Amino acid sequence: MSIRTFLYSLTQGINNFFKNRLMTIASVTTITASLFVVSMFYCIVVNLNFILEEFEQNIGIAIFFEEDVVENEILTLKNQLEARDEVFEINYISEEDAWKTFKEEYFKGREDLLKGFDNDNPLKGSASLQVLFSDISQQKVLVGLLQEEEIVRFVRESQEVTDIVQNVNSLVTYTSVVLIVILSIISLFIISNTIRLAIAIRKREIRIMRYIGAKSSMVRGPFLVEGIIIGLVGATIPVIVIYFFYDNVIQKISTEFFLLRDFLVFLPVEIIMAQLLPISLIAGVVLGYLGSRVTVGRYLKV
Amino acid sequence: MIRLENVTKLYPGSVKALDDVSFSIDKGEFVFIVGGSGSGKTTIIKAIMREIDITSGQLYVEGVDITRIRRSKVHKLRRNLGIVFQDFRLLNNRTVYQNVAFALKITETPRRTIRKTVPMLLSMVGLNKKANMKPSELSGGEQQRIALARALANNPPILIADEPTGNLDPQRSWEMMKLLQEINMKGTTVLVVTHDKEIVDAMKKRVIALRNGRVVKDMKRGDYVHEH
Ligand SMILES: Nc1ncnc2c1ncn2[C@@H]1O[C@H](COP(=O)(O)OP(=O)(O)OP(=O)(O)O)[C@@H](O)[C@H]1O
Ligand SMILES: [Mg+2]
Repeated sequence: MSIRTFLYSLTQGINNFFKNRLMTIASVTTITASLFVVSMFYCIVVNLNFILEEFEQNIGIAIFFEEDVVENEILTLKNQLEARDEVFEINYISEEDAWKTFKEEYFKGREDLLKGFDNDNPLKGSASLQVLFSDISQQKVLVGLLQEEEIVRFVRESQEVTDIVQNVNSLVTYTSVVLIVILSIISLFIISNTIRLAIAIRKREIRIMRYIGAKSSMVRGPFLVEGIIIGLVGATIPVIVIYFFYDNVIQKISTEFFLLRDFLVFLPVEIIMAQLLPISLIAGVVLGYLGSRVTVGRYLKV
Repeated sequence: MIRLENVTKLYPGSVKALDDVSFSIDKGEFVFIVGGSGSGKTTIIKAIMREIDITSGQLYVEGVDITRIRRSKVHKLRRNLGIVFQDFRLLNNRTVYQNVAFALKITETPRRTIRKTVPMLLSMVGLNKKANMKPSELSGGEQQRIALARALANNPPILIADEPTGNLDPQRSWEMMKLLQEINMKGTTVLVVTHDKEIVDAMKKRVIALRNGRVVKDMKRGDYVHEH
């Protein structure tokens, strides 16, 4: 396509965009709505993943040992585990530490009740290793290995929580994929229809253009441009809306689910935008181009 | 320039619009195609510009077998042909000026050239005072002249006019013919389809006569041939 054809298509396409007002509004609205839903799901997925990652790092396992195991043996195991990739962090909690935390948690303000325990540690043999994972899916395997160890009495795991976390994660991801596919098809359909109408309106002009020697790229160009503009505008609006309302919504959710506030950590709007903006714009251009390209191919055989 | 060899055109419903038509037109010629209504005159023009595909035969324009060019290359053929259509085919929502400029725009002519060329063309056909009017506000003859200005915009080597005097009174008809003759004298090959007996007889140009889609006469300096 030459520069002049390109410029012609651009101005003509922009003209058409504003001239076919009703259809333009209808299709831009549809695309805006579709991409808005997709964008919202994107925000949810990204944040959920972020929350789950944080969460994953806070659910780990605790390894408890047989009575006769000495501290050195435990520390050797600690070193072995530390070398593993899936282990994010590992802490040794001695009997004394355990007793100390216990005391602090349950006898706060009632220290008088502790008199009889002065020299005795009632939590004897409760030394443990607390393991946090960087990759929680490896938890099961590691637990299996640990249970084979002779010094290990039992492993307290949180597999149920882990499973739920992973299920929620994949459910949301699948839902988003299905939604994206459905909404993309709807968007393509509406863009294609808009362009079809635009072609119908200009049928006479197109015929005349061809009679007097217009190249096919010049006949088709304006409609492709019109489709791309519809896609772009339809993609920009939801991004702008999300940019301005994101913080408000986050605030709302945080107050609404006050009890979960320790888990609900959200990504800042800038990070969301850094990905959402280019993804949306590209999606808009691609949807607009494909929608108009298909229609132009079918109804504008030049 | 233009050569038809055994061209036959069957429209759907087996209407034989052209039946084994052969003739050839050289560069710089001025040729009338005459014949009664439905004799196939417009069909010849549509075949030459590849608006329709012929059923059989060969058709060359400037040495190119146009039955074989791809759709995407048809614009090259059409840029060699300036055509004044029987039904004008003007854009009614645009001004006279815009209609003529349109032909230059779509051939990617620079703006500056367009701004110089359009007034020239309009004054040639005597419409420079009506440049800002819409075709629907003008008479049939004036619309025909817009179509002529547009056909000439890209300086085509071949000019084809379908019934250019069909809507004109005798005086206007003569003016139109004079215009076409001037254009022909500048080297453009001119092909005129007409019913107008008087004009054909007076011009003493080559005449190709059609009847029921067949060439019945082809005369170097001919008269209008009656069908009976
Ligand atoms: N699209 C079409 N489909 C079917 N038949 C057609 C079509 N176009 C033209 N015809 C038929 O082909 C024959 C030739 O038509 P054409 O338009 O070439 O005649 P013409 O010589 O230009 O007539 P006129 O002087 O009235 O313009 C006519 O019988 C006409 O009815
Ligand atoms: Mg005709």
